[in-house]
Amino acid sequence: MAKVKVATEAAGNVWKIVVAVGGRVDADEPVMILESMKMEVPVNAPKAGTVLEILAPEGTAVGEDEVVAIIEAD
Amino acid sequence: MSWEPEVTEIKRRKKAALAMGGEKNVKRQHDAGRLTIRERVDRLLDKDTFHEVGGLAGSATYNPDGSTASFAATNVIYGRGKIDGRPVVLAGDDFTMRGGSAEAGNIDKLRHTEMFAKEYRLPLIRVVEGSGGGGSVRTFEEIGRTYMPGGNQSGSYSYLMADAMATVPVVALGLGPIAGLGAARMVASHYSVMVRDQSSMFIAGPPLVARAGGGKLTKEELGGAKIHVNAGAIDDAVDTEDEAFERARRFLSYLPSSVYDLPTRIAPADDTERRDESLLSIVPRERRKVYAMRKIIESVVDKGSFFEMGKQFGRSIITGFARVDGWPVALMAGDPMHYGGSWTAAAAQKIIRFVDLAGTFHLPMVNLYDCPGFKIGLDAEMAGTVRHATRAVFAICQYQGPWCSVIIRNCFGLAGGAHQPQGRLNFRYAWPSARWGSLPLEGGVEAAYKSEIEAAADPKAKLVEIEARLEALQSPLRTAETYDVEDIIDPRDTRPLLAEFVNLTAPLRPVGPASWGLRP
Repeated sequence: MAKVKVATEAAGNVWKIVVAVGGRVDADEPVMILESMKMEVPVNAPKAGTVLEILAPEGTAVGEDEVVAIIEAD
Repeated sequence: MSWEPEVTEIKRRKKAALAMGGEKNVKRQHDAGRLTIRERVDRLLDKDTFHEVGGLAGSATYNPDGSTASFAATNVIYGRGKIDGRPVVLAGDDFTMRGGSAEAGNIDKLRHTEMFAKEYRLPLIRVVEGSGGGGSVRTFEEIGRTYMPGGNQSGSYSYLMADAMATVPVVALGLGPIAGLGAARMVASHYSVMVRDQSSMFIAGPPLVARAGGGKLTKEELGGAKIHVNAGAIDDAVDTEDEAFERARRFLSYLPSSVYDLPTRIAPADDTERRDESLLSIVPRERRKVYAMRKIIESVVDKGSFFEMGKQFGRSIITGFARVDGWPVALMAGDPMHYGGSWTAAAAQKIIRFVDLAGTFHLPMVNLYDCPGFKIGLDAEMAGTVRHATRAVFAICQYQGPWCSVIIRNCFGLAGGAHQPQGRLNFRYAWPSARWGSLPLEGGVEAAYKSEIEAAADPKAKLVEIEARLEALQSPLRTAETYDVEDIIDPRDTRPLLAEFVNLTAPLRPVGPASWGLRP
């Protein structure tokens, strides 16, 4: 079991947390969705697992390559 | 009496040169996880093709009887070789000789690398490590004076680099710590690569920075690969030297040997009539939802042929080489994941450099367009975005080769007008998901219908109503009725149409040096 960082590819505001702490997420599926220039930009989990921590709650501004969640990989 | 003694001495000196900076220094290089320049040459070039030039340059000491006591070669390795069977020029720094510094260098040898590549129209590969031939303060004491940077008007090295870049493809591989002139030799290239956790690059290294009050930083902190690929000073970062060599070979495979030649077609290995079903639904109908532009790229070019460059910089634009029906093309695309695909100052700089690269080496341009406009907001204004983006518009207008735009989604404003060079006929298609105008509906309604919305009993409902009314007008079919756009296509037909474009325009690719006018 490894802790895996979920990082943003783009800058934006956290619009919606899709999978809350304790929830399960599949690989390449969104943990949260950012809003950037009126577009919804998903932040996908690199691996399947359980969300351990959300580091950027809804409404937070995040930068590029910022770690916004930690998951415990399966 | 033959010349045998001299021939023996030539052989002895050339053998001495192969020993580089000696066992101890070679071991230190290996212990740091880095290859020596001789190993690099062997791995980068086709087997046994390296023909060294100036291998006898160096410094010797002599015995009282005039015989040679010792010989140390310069740390500039220069020669010709082949990559994929095509001749190239290679200039390599030997870090085991005094850390690649100028004291053990030879500036004329370095100058010849650029001159030979330009005059004989061969791609140039610089393998850079150290100061790249640049001077150090110690030189002052050795020569007993200071000197004018760039020499006495007899053709400075910078001039030679500019001349080479305008004539032949130049690749720079940064494989260790690099400072000063070495850093300039890295960026004065069409494609540059660093190795993560191994290469670092700076105008001046940590000691000078600390002395100037810039704080105490490690080489990695000051100029690691991540810093430079994010800033756009370097194009790409890889994990190993072998990957860097592979990138160099791959980059060159799309290009002619010089501006006097054309990019070569390879035997087509993919069906030009391939129509991917996924393209019909890849762009979401919901305008707020993004999609993966790279999947579209992979689907419309020859399988596995896309070679992306500069991925980490100006990320709202994707740039790279690819092949369509075997023909090399330059490919540019918007990435809606980043600022909705809008042109940031960085993205604009990326466009300019890429369009100029394509124009210089006669690659036809395929532009998969999705851009809602120049990036807006205070940050954008403070970054001078409007100037950089307008320069990008000019660069596109000044591009002289064949151009095909496929408008995937957004196409708005001044940036929208620059989806192709203006003032001439280009190939142009739009997908049914395309939307265009002077500005996106999402941003413009409130401003344009301000009084009507404010006067309404329910302003929110009024806004939705106006948006719905305008949305109905946005179908690209309405634009096609007036022939404002030549064709709206089934997205699945994109690849066959691109294949027609490259085949039809191949004879029209212009040959010779590029030139363009003033840019704002």
